[in-house]
Amino acid sequence: MQTQSIQPDLSFIRNVMQSGGDTVKRCYQCATCSVVCPLSTDESPFPRKEMLWTQWGLAGKVAGDVDVWLCHQCGDCTTYCPRDARPGDVLSAIRLNAIRYYAEPKFLADMFSSPMGVIGAVFLGIILVLAVAGVWAALVSHHAFPFPEETPIEFHNFMSVIPIDVLFLSTVVFVLYVLYNGVKNFWMDISAGANLPKSYSGTYPVPPIGTLVTGYIIPAVQEIIAHSRFKKCGQTADRATGHLYLVLSFIILFIVTNFVFIAEDLFHAALHIIGPVTPMPQWHPVKLAANIGGIMLIVGVFMIKGVRDRLTEKGTLKSSDQDWILIWLIFAVGATGLGSEIFRLTQVKQLAYPVYILHLACVWVLFLSLPFSKFGHLVYRSTAYVFEKWAADVKSGKAGFGLEKSVGSEH
Amino acid sequence: MAKVGLYIYTGDGIGEALDIAALTNLAQKEGAAIVKTHDDLYSPAGIQMVKDDVEKEGVDRVVIAGASPRYEYKDFDFPGVYIEKTSLRELVVWSHPSDNGNNEHVQELAEDYIRMSMAKIKKVAMPVPEKMEAPSQKVLIVGGGIAGMSAALELAEAGFESTIVEKENELGSFAAKIRKQTPIGPDYTTLIDPIAPGLIAKINANSKITVKTGTELARIANVPGNYRASFKSAGVKSEWDAPIPLTPEEKFDANGKELSAEDQKKKYNAKNEGRQDYMQVDSNAEIFGAVVLASGWKPFVPAEGEYAHLAWGNPNVVTNHQFEDIAKKGKIVRADGKEAKSVAFVMSPGAKKDDFDFPYASAVTSISALKHAKYVREDYPQDGKSYIFYQHMRTPGKYEYFYKSLQNDEGMFLTKGAVTEVKDNGQGGLSVKVEDTLIGGDMTVDVDMVVLATGMIPTTKEEAVINFAYRQGPAFRDLELFQGYCDSNFICFPYETRRTGVYAAGGVRRAMTIEDEMEDGTGAALKAIQVLKAVEVGHAVHPRTWDYDWPDFYFQRCTQCKRCTEECPFGALDDDEKGTPKPNPARCRRCGTCMGACPERIIGFKDYNIDIVGSMIKNIEVPDDDEEKLRMVVFVCENDAYPALDIAASQGKSWSPLPRIIPVRCLGSVNVSWIKDAMSSGMDGVLLLGCKYGDDYQCHFAKGSELAGKRMDNVAESLKSLGVEKERVKLEQVSIDDYDKVSQIINDFVEEVVGMGPNPFKGF
Repeated sequence: MQTQSIQPDLSFIRNVMQSGGDTVKRCYQCATCSVVCPLSTDESPFPRKEMLWTQWGLAGKVAGDVDVWLCHQCGDCTTYCPRDARPGDVLSAIRLNAIRYYAEPKFLADMFSSPMGVIGAVFLGIILVLAVAGVWAALVSHHAFPFPEETPIEFHNFMSVIPIDVLFLSTVVFVLYVLYNGVKNFWMDISAGANLPKSYSGTYPVPPIGTLVTGYIIPAVQEIIAHSRFKKCGQTADRATGHLYLVLSFIILFIVTNFVFIAEDLFHAALHIIGPVTPMPQWHPVKLAANIGGIMLIVGVFMIKGVRDRLTEKGTLKSSDQDWILIWLIFAVGATGLGSEIFRLTQVKQLAYPVYILHLACVWVLFLSLPFSKFGHLVYRSTAYVFEKWAADVKSGKAGFGLEKSVGSEH
Repeated sequence: MAKVGLYIYTGDGIGEALDIAALTNLAQKEGAAIVKTHDDLYSPAGIQMVKDDVEKEGVDRVVIAGASPRYEYKDFDFPGVYIEKTSLRELVVWSHPSDNGNNEHVQELAEDYIRMSMAKIKKVAMPVPEKMEAPSQKVLIVGGGIAGMSAALELAEAGFESTIVEKENELGSFAAKIRKQTPIGPDYTTLIDPIAPGLIAKINANSKITVKTGTELARIANVPGNYRASFKSAGVKSEWDAPIPLTPEEKFDANGKELSAEDQKKKYNAKNEGRQDYMQVDSNAEIFGAVVLASGWKPFVPAEGEYAHLAWGNPNVVTNHQFEDIAKKGKIVRADGKEAKSVAFVMSPGAKKDDFDFPYASAVTSISALKHAKYVREDYPQDGKSYIFYQHMRTPGKYEYFYKSLQNDEGMFLTKGAVTEVKDNGQGGLSVKVEDTLIGGDMTVDVDMVVLATGMIPTTKEEAVINFAYRQGPAFRDLELFQGYCDSNFICFPYETRRTGVYAAGGVRRAMTIEDEMEDGTGAALKAIQVLKAVEVGHAVHPRTWDYDWPDFYFQRCTQCKRCTEECPFGALDDDEKGTPKPNPARCRRCGTCMGACPERIIGFKDYNIDIVGSMIKNIEVPDDDEEKLRMVVFVCENDAYPALDIAASQGKSWSPLPRIIPVRCLGSVNVSWIKDAMSSGMDGVLLLGCKYGDDYQCHFAKGSELAGKRMDNVAESLKSLGVEKERVKLEQVSIDDYDKVSQIINDFVEEVVGMGPNPFKGF
């Protein structure tokens, strides 16, 4: 093996140790963790190597390691570790650090990793919503602000979809930009870390977009929805159910939101092609789906919280601030969403509008935090799933450098 | 006239296996006035039976034929009565199951043991202890480091006065010159301030402790209880410096011819010009009862050109000892004043040879490396990096906690690996190449400084330190067996040295942490107190503490051959101008090596001498004409080989019934005349079972079995000249845990002898 020049990155070690991986230095390389891990593969066993690299501050090595993201913090390693080095927690901490590493600007990552920062962000969201709504009310709609006088309550009267879109679409653009850069850098790092063959010009192979979607993303998403890896977890398999609820609710709400966006925001409000779509009657299939999604979201959060509380108490895993931030933020989104709907239907104006404002703020914070907080695992872990399949094909000569065209149909 | 009572224990299967009536008759025929049996001899009733005979019948010699003599029954200790124990249980019954009801061989075996014990009991005399009147109760402590100071304080606590003699001008030694020390108690994760200043203050405040700094021991003469110590200023010559005998090489001339006694004397005098003779009494000497040798260690500093692959000679490559000096002065900086924020600690200099350490490396060097690594981290908490590259990390006992706590530090990097190269990296630092690391493969690391984990050389490696005015010279013997550490047989006897009354403690005996040194000083102090008592009441010290006897010399027949004075493992014998030995019972450990050495057979003990053992041999019945009944004598060392036999017997192992076992104090005490006695009384072979010797010797008297081995070579020569196969006499090394092999060793020997047939001199 080639001689490597070692330059430990103390700040990397310190960051991992401070974000839940404080036990990393205890590891003495017995490899029990890699043996008991239900998700580790023979070709690239983990988490032993990640423990060692982190101990030695080899940030670059860890960054290039896709296995970090194939870990679901089952906790089997932590349970069996003879030295109480808690590899599961360490890898979780490494992931948090990786998200921060790929996210720019860093101050947002710092803000979304502390509870006070998140609360501050929600307040900022409230102010932002009020400001946009206030300007909209004063200049365009001329409704009373902040409590429109019209009854029944319609949130349009407070702020129509156009200013909401101004606020949210700009956020979406920003988030997508940050994510694009993050995922691109992540992909390059893990390509290097996986020792993928390079082209003659020194670049790593990248799948063409069509093949990427059909050959890799769709199978990866299918696998994610099936939660097949999560269910393999020995110690924490029951986390999978709650997590699945959340994933499904997010998908449902994503579809609902997009339906409404296209129908109401685009076709009605912006283009005036059709009449108003919202508020929808309760029997409307989209409304039904939205309500089901909302309820699943809250149920999922409580299931996850319950399991996490139990496992934390048992010592199978540790829960960092970031874990709880994400759980409570998602809960806040769901609770304020349903709350604003209930108060709207029951015509409690003094509560309906404030809860709606809070809801918009929470959604905005959750959205904005995506590339910067634990929520980012949605993107990076999914990318890792995709990459794992891609790298396997490249290594076995079935993909990369145009090879996938001849064999891509297999997927 | 002695009155012998012989008591046969018939329990534990003895009564069923043997014809007890025949044994009783035999004992009476051999001269026992009273012979009784008891099936529970060791019970109060059995003891009472014997006691009654002692008190009412006037029995003053008792033979207990039953369990192994190794089982101690203090209830049989009657004042003025000699007790002999012979083993019918282990050596006869348990180890020789009846061969289909044919018990002839086993019965003969038992009968011989009765005969042998009767032969012995008729010849023993009660020992008369050699008591010293008013021995000094003061202890001399050589060396004022942690071990020495701890010994002094413990002695003071126990009410004994002591004098610490320290070469340097201050007490405390290395322990007083360090920045921090590893913890001496919980919690084991933090470094503490040195404890030496506190100990020094206690010493200075203690009226029972006298301190002589800047002082050395010129010589120490005489015996425990009455040592004469001559002091001198450190580093100067004195007429009382201990004279040094000629080395074996010096006794020969340039042509390899041994010098005459007169020429040797001249050479010796020239060598010791200006020094008083070793027997000369210094009237200014101070008197001490015992000595604690705590002279410590010196740091190993590689010579110029050594360890070139580790860049030794580069100003940024230092030893751990030099690193401690740097740390004591302040922050860790290099010779050029630059802060040393990344430091590599190299534990093993052997590159790819993974079983290779610096000389005198130990757990202490591992623990020191960890401590020094922590200095770096404490000086530079933000960006300090300590690398430890080891082949062996030794953190015994609670130091594991210290090790673990350091592993948890973000700036500590530990890996097993082979440091193959250290070189200037061209940027003002050093580049360290390490191969076969835990990270997988090889690595290079750039550091500001490299620290070599060099060892601690015991002071006794190069100097005598103690400076005995003894016939055998000023230093301890054979310390090369312990790489110069002052030790005798550390597994069994910690603190013991090869000189009775002198107890080693601390770094001179073994590389130790400060915590260990404190405990060691305490242990040696207790040994010193023991010897003070021993000389007062006249018993031996370890391992024969129960022994009140001492070797008696019949000087009229001494030929001044000096074998005893040379061979005594404990230097107990001095001599006069002519070479006549001068015994010093207080220095003697009663091993009998002198008795084994003496060609004139003039040395012996009251209950263990040439005549007694010779009579035992001669009383073994040797059938003249029965080829089925060859006879061998087995001299068995009672320290390890005999217990191994006992264990073998208790585990149901058996061996041939032909050999007769005679326990001896040490194979060193086996006199060649016994072997001649055996062969001339028609025995067919002689086997000696003793301790292992050589580098990892287990002999309780250091050299006994090895000396016996050399003597047996001479015996083999003389047997050959008589036309007797030399294989009939054999020495085998047995350790105490060889109980599963010892019966096989005996059987193999018996088989070999049987193969040779009867002794050609049988019947003459």
